[in-house]
Amino acid sequence: MKRFYLLMFLIALMWAGYSHGADVAPTTHEAMVSGQARSVIAASSSVQENKVGIGDVRASAVVGESPDEEAIDEEEEDEEEVMGEISIADPLEPFNRAMFQFNDRLYFWVVKPVAQGYKKVVPESGRTSVKNFFTNLGFPKRFVSCLFQADFGGAATELGRFVVNTVWGVGGLLDPAANKELDLQRQDADIGQTLGIYGLGHGFYIVWPVLGPSSLRDTVDIAGEYFQYPFTYADPWYVGPSVRAYEGVNSASLRIGDYEALKEAAIDPYVALRNAYAQYRQNMVKKKEKREAPAPVEVKPAQRMFQ
Amino acid sequence: MAKINPGAIILLIFMMVVLCGTADAGGPFGPPQPLTKDSGGIRTAVGYWYHEDKFSNDTDHVIKQNQVYSEVAYGAGKTWEVYGRIGVSSIEIDDALSSTRPSTTSSKSDFEDNWKFFGTLGAKGFYPFNEIFGIGAFVQGTYFFRDADDNVSGTTGGAPYTMELRMTDLWDVNFGIGFQATLWRDTKLYAGPYVYYAEAQVSPAPVISGIQLGNGDTTLRNKTNVGGFMGIDVPIAKGFRLNVEGQYSERFSAGAAISLVY
Repeated sequence: MKRFYLLMFLIALMWAGYSHGADVAPTTHEAMVSGQARSVIAASSSVQENKVGIGDVRASAVVGESPDEEAIDEEEEDEEEVMGEISIADPLEPFNRAMFQFNDRLYFWVVKPVAQGYKKVVPESGRTSVKNFFTNLGFPKRFVSCLFQADFGGAATELGRFVVNTVWGVGGLLDPAANKELDLQRQDADIGQTLGIYGLGHGFYIVWPVLGPSSLRDTVDIAGEYFQYPFTYADPWYVGPSVRAYEGVNSASLRIGDYEALKEAAIDPYVALRNAYAQYRQNMVKKKEKREAPAPVEVKPAQRMFQ
Repeated sequence: MAKINPGAIILLIFMMVVLCGTADAGGPFGPPQPLTKDSGGIRTAVGYWYHEDKFSNDTDHVIKQNQVYSEVAYGAGKTWEVYGRIGVSSIEIDDALSSTRPSTTSSKSDFEDNWKFFGTLGAKGFYPFNEIFGIGAFVQGTYFFRDADDNVSGTTGGAPYTMELRMTDLWDVNFGIGFQATLWRDTKLYAGPYVYYAEAQVSPAPVISGIQLGNGDTTLRNKTNVGGFMGIDVPIAKGFRLNVEGQYSERFSAGAAISLVY
């Protein structure tokens, strides 16, 4: 019975979290630094840029604009809606900050040196192939998520990609499906996004040790991904974690500098990362709700860390 | 010094190759002209190849293989290409385990094993005479990474036995020349001769002298060294192409592959 109440409480919390989308009250600390942070990190700066751009176009509307410009207007209004200011509740901030520090140390003391060494040994084309291989392995998660989102076109695209890349892409090391002729692009679909489309909010922000930024809703995604990751079922038990660690190092080697740039630019990197994460995830949900191609989800340098 | 006509040399080589006899080899050769993009790029393929050859030591044995493989190639300028294949194959050697004496009985006559990994490396070059015709040459080698083995039991001189026959280091190397005609919608028809050498080590344990390949360690070699091949390569859609090829010698081998150029 206790479990039932706990489950109901969590669901209620997550649903309530949905309203935290645009107008959640920032914490005192955030109020002090978030404005500056947003202006310096690439993810948040796009919001500012957008507002200026729209203002300019609106001004031009007074003097008359062409149908093309109106179309641009509409597009930018949509963009504004999507890219609008997004925040996330953070009741666990002390814990999250501690975990942020832990992950920060882990990155600078372990992951980055290893990734830098790896980068010196393995050329970029090799590391990209490894990334392609692991991306291909993530097919079950994306395929099932597309199906749950009733995005059958997306599911078919994912299936096509998986077949082409596995068979003609040397087991997924190459990505021929993305070439111009086939144009089967990766569908950025996951379980957290699926729950978001069904109306579930972020809940609140959680920073997991090693795994990094997440939310209550996206934590379900972490669990789901665990079960849909093929190496989870590898024997002996340490193969799965070892492969994941290698994937992490390979991935880090391809984006060394992104996190550093965010950290250097932000007065409070924790808040900057939190905002970038919330915005990135919210955009993924909004874009998918509109059933747009995955490509328009603009990924800022800071947000690449979440991919 | 009299000028030598290149056409005469080609004809001479072709005649020498054809008159020497025929044999077949492990895997398709593909069209002489590389399919990779002019500006340089990758081609990948998956294919199936049914292979038959005749090996011999004291007696002739037909070797049969069903190969499934994945191939990746890199080339440029439509003039050169290097490629590699990795695949699995079944191996069957007819009458390898059959009895040669009335006093020896055998539970089976053919050597059989499955899922043996092999790898192939190759390179080809092409010289176009004009937009339609051209000539190319290739070299291709295959090696089986895994030993194949099979067991046979029976009686010899009234005593029961169980023998394991192991086949190791199966490899071949091929060199050939292909003539190509490019037809409507980039369909390529090609044919040509090739020379070829293949061998494998065979070891029985224990030695059972009344079994065909049970007399002791021996090396099997291909019976003849020359063959001919013919094929067609057709564009399907969106960069995919279908290649069907046959190689004829004392035995016939054939297969098909679907490749993707990007």
